[in-house]
Amino acid sequence: MIDLLKALTGFAGCAVAALLSATAAGAQDPGLDAWRGIYAVFSHPRCANCHVEDDRPRWSGAHYGRTRVHDMNVQRGADGLGNPGMRCTTCHQEQNAAQRHGPPGAPAWHLAPAEMVWWQKSSKEICEQVKDPARNGNRTLDEIALHVRDDDLVSWGWQPGTGREPAPGSAEETYQLLRQWSAAGAPCPAD
Amino acid sequence: MTLEETTMKLNVNGSEHEIDVETEMPLLWALRDELDIRGPKFGCGIAQCGACTVFIDGEPVRSCSVTVGEVSGAVTTIEGLAADGRLHPVQQAWIDEQVAQCGYCQAGQVMTAIALLEAIPDPTDADIDNAMSGNLCRCGTYPRIRAAIKRAASATAGA
Repeated sequence: MIDLLKALTGFAGCAVAALLSATAAGAQDPGLDAWRGIYAVFSHPRCANCHVEDDRPRWSGAHYGRTRVHDMNVQRGADGLGNPGMRCTTCHQEQNAAQRHGPPGAPAWHLAPAEMVWWQKSSKEICEQVKDPARNGNRTLDEIALHVRDDDLVSWGWQPGTGREPAPGSAEETYQLLRQWSAAGAPCPAD
Repeated sequence: MTLEETTMKLNVNGSEHEIDVETEMPLLWALRDELDIRGPKFGCGIAQCGACTVFIDGEPVRSCSVTVGEVSGAVTTIEGLAADGRLHPVQQAWIDEQVAQCGYCQAGQVMTAIALLEAIPDPTDADIDNAMSGNLCRCGTYPRIRAAIKRAASATAGA
């Protein structure tokens, strides 16, 4: 019995030690903690729906039902602003439409460049993209943080209008997370 | 919430207008109810059908979803297309191809077709589909719309 108790105690001790170790590791990696918050924003439908690899913005999110491509044959176009005759701004004005189910709006509505793809990409993939000047608009991490905080179209993600789930947190909180992540060396998750 | 009326200036089809409306009023309402310009039609009211399409500084917009306060340029409706007593080539092509059935959506169709031809003077079928897919026609006149756009393209090229 004593041997059994020793064995159990030893096992429990190992488990607690492992848990404490993991907690300590998490606490020692504030960069990854910050990144998880950033990823929750960037992968949210309000952001990812227009960060697509192909030419079709998506309709997805809590209120959209099944995920689908944007109706009306909407496409990226040569400049990311839609096709001739049916530009993004033909329907998307500078503010959200007052009518329920009307088009959302923000200044200069457009698709993100195709190399800035977030739609259905993993945390690791988005993280590496965001850090890559060839795929982030040749921005420094500080410039990315400012872009997220100050850009009107990005800010729309937190003020998407009636009936649409906003991105988590706020522009300011995401800016702060980006600063923390950058200060911690901008680590990316393993997967 | 009570919205207050403001005197707004609108340039529509080359004429200056002053109207006392709420800045949040959709442009379509102002055109039809305040200025008696009835070419743009109310279809869906949420920018999904294209019947209300007009130009602002030459760019097509759904006037049901633009507020008067957002209008920062000159508005052109289908009434403003003809010049010197002559129809716009796209309007003429629409007649020549007898596109319209009920006609309700056709003002919006014509405006979008003009925007397409301004950008792509000789559009392919795919170009036409890409531009016109946001303009719905419940009568199903799409084949005649395509033919009219190609006719207008040819007429313009030969002019």
